Amino acid sequence: MDLIASPKSLISSPIFNYMKFIAIKRELGLDRGIAVQYLSWLNNLIHGNFGSSFRTGRPVFSELIKVGVNTLILTIGSLIVTLLIAVPIAIVSSLRRRPFLSWGLTLFAYVLSALPVFWLGYLAIYIFTKKFNLFPFLSAGAVSGSKLNWLYFLLPIIVLGIGNGSISEIIRHLRAQLERVLSEDYIKAAKAKGASIWRHSFKEGILIPVTTMVAAKTPFILGGAVVVEQVFNWPGMGRLAWQAALDRDYPVIMGITIFAAIVVHLGRLSQTIVFAFVNPQISEKGEDA
Amino acid sequence: MSEPILKVEDLRTYFYSYAKEAFIRSVDGVSFSIKKGEVLGIVGESGCGKSITAQSVMGLVTDGPGIISGSILLTYNGKTINLLEGLSDYVSVKTRRKAILEIAKDVTGWLKRSEILMRGVRGKVISMIFQNPKSALNPFIPVGEQIAESIMLHSGISAKKEAIGAAAKWLERVQIDSPSMRLYDYPFGLSGGMCQRVMIAMALSAEPALLIADEPTTGLDVTIQTKIIELLKQLKEELNLTILLITHDMSVIMQLADRIAVMYGGRIVEYGLKREIMDSDSFIRHPYTIALLNSLPTVEEIKMKERLRAIKGDVPDTIILYRGCRFYERCDLKNERVKKRCKESEPEMIEIGTGHYMRCWLAEE
Ligand SMILES: Nc1ncnc2c1ncn2[C@@H]1O[C@H](COP(=O)(O)OP(=O)(O)OP(=O)(O)O)[C@@H](O)[C@H]1O
Ligand code: SF4
Ligand SMILES: [Mg+2]
Repeated sequence: MDLIASPKSLISSPIFNYMKFIAIKRELGLDRGIAVQYLSWLNNLIHGNFGSSFRTGRPVFSELIKVGVNTLILTIGSLIVTLLIAVPIAIVSSLRRRPFLSWGLTLFAYVLSALPVFWLGYLAIYIFTKKFNLFPFLSAGAVSGSKLNWLYFLLPIIVLGIGNGSISEIIRHLRAQLERVLSEDYIKAAKAKGASIWRHSFKEGILIPVTTMVAAKTPFILGGAVVVEQVFNWPGMGRLAWQAALDRDYPVIMGITIFAAIVVHLGRLSQTIVFAFVNPQISEKGEDA
Repeated sequence: MSEPILKVEDLRTYFYSYAKEAFIRSVDGVSFSIKKGEVLGIVGESGCGKSITAQSVMGLVTDGPGIISGSILLTYNGKTINLLEGLSDYVSVKTRRKAILEIAKDVTGWLKRSEILMRGVRGKVISMIFQNPKSALNPFIPVGEQIAESIMLHSGISAKKEAIGAAAKWLERVQIDSPSMRLYDYPFGLSGGMCQRVMIAMALSAEPALLIADEPTTGLDVTIQTKIIELLKQLKEELNLTILLITHDMSVIMQLADRIAVMYGGRIVEYGLKREIMDSDSFIRHPYTIALLNSLPTVEEIKMKERLRAIKGDVPDTIILYRGCRFYERCDLKNERVKKRCKESEPEMIEIGTGHYMRCWLAEE
């Protein structure tokens, strides 16, 4: 069995030389059986070697680190944006004091998070380039020269934060949990002793549900990042993945997959750490992700 | 005689039931007062409004469409405040021929006002212990820290270390073994009885003027119940505590209370000193009190593990507006002479002895 296609950049060369093609295939190790290729890739991986890009020839690992950091900035930043929107709305509506305000805010958030992220991205670009002329349409990215273009830097983060589709779910989950916790006996008792109910409901009512949602939503946000990086020309992993997929640059794709898996598990790990920190006994019987 | 610490007058706490489109009159015109160093026991069956009475005093009734009226006068440090002062401004009630037609409540304003009134009172002047100590303690915070929090909030100690030290002393006072080790335990690691001791320590650590104990022994094993009552008795002597004790258990009342208020269907039906009411010579008692006392198992029955005799019939529905006596359906003692009156109009509180009041037509005779 052979791989579906060979590196595009090679075969699309105008003077396609079959002999040369075979030679390069051998050089890249693509002439071996697929099982052998996989095992040797695994073996390399164990030794910390992610292989080299077919396209650039540079080691995948250093390439990944470079773009991975950008993607992390984008995902973590957008996660913060999501939480900044979702958490206050959930808190306000869990108090049931201002029904109209909370109803309005919730509706607003639901509509926002129903917007597809690519559409939101193009809309944002359209508004900021065409209407306000704040930066050129095809910008080179956030950094032009030595100056950081803050707006261009923040825009994708905000767009992904709004458009990753998890705002509504975070609001729903957090509000349900918070309402439950606020009606617990121990909150009533805390109130009776004159203490702050927020101090007492923070761990079970906010920290645990938020971490649970963050862990559950990390994969979706990563998925959204691929789109946003494309739309905004953000030099991250998503764009690299896109490019690599077009180029059939397998080592890069494999590396990115591993990297994404690690990020997803970091989300899970953070949840475990928070639960352990909060109280091991309770988190067992408490919420399960 | 000293001035009462707490004087509740005509307290009414109603909730609105959307399902039944009517008010649930959980507390319906309750008056009582507590003097310094006294234990007032409120007793009555489940659902008669005991907890809501206590929660109204504590400002813990927060449900939106509820209304609270009357006055709750709290005297401490030489001044008297009404804990319901100005709350009625946030509620507008439309009535027609005494029937409440509509009620509008500015919940946000009401809660804000209530918070202002209760600030400095909750936990400091009045503190409270609850029925299920295990669920009333924060499961995520070590018990020592929870007591220390109370101390730091109310006792002018701001250093945490010092507060933890004081917490250990309080744990010792409520007779917990090796208190300095227990400080770092989470509630899940402690038994129900231990948790209640912790609650008591926490409630008393601010040296409140009044302690409200809502069913402090319910939900605990019988042997533990006895120990907690014993502890409360001792602490009462040692610290000259003033306690509002709420229970459905006459035997707890018998052991701890100085004065009794018997509640039925949101109202107090009998009120007076325990020795007056329980005095075997006293030939007059409210039929409901008698029924409650009869439901207590005798020593023989406890030995034979016989079940508690329940009073026949159900607790009255507090939604219905009664014309006659609320206990009418279940009352065994109404005789031919009073029967008609019992059915048609509700008896007033009548003083039948010094400070002994009763709401029953029989008392008029
Ligand atoms: N938030 C609420 N909304 C509507 N009705 C309520 C609310 N809270 C309490 N009630 C009603 O008020 C009545 C009195 O309740 P309360 O908790 O004071 O009873 P209790 O005497 O303490 O009984 P128990 O022994 O069961 O604790 C009950 O019938 C209850 O259904
Ligand atoms: S008023 Fe009549 S019905 Fe009510 S308790 Fe007295 S005797 Fe019984
Ligand atoms: Mg109760």
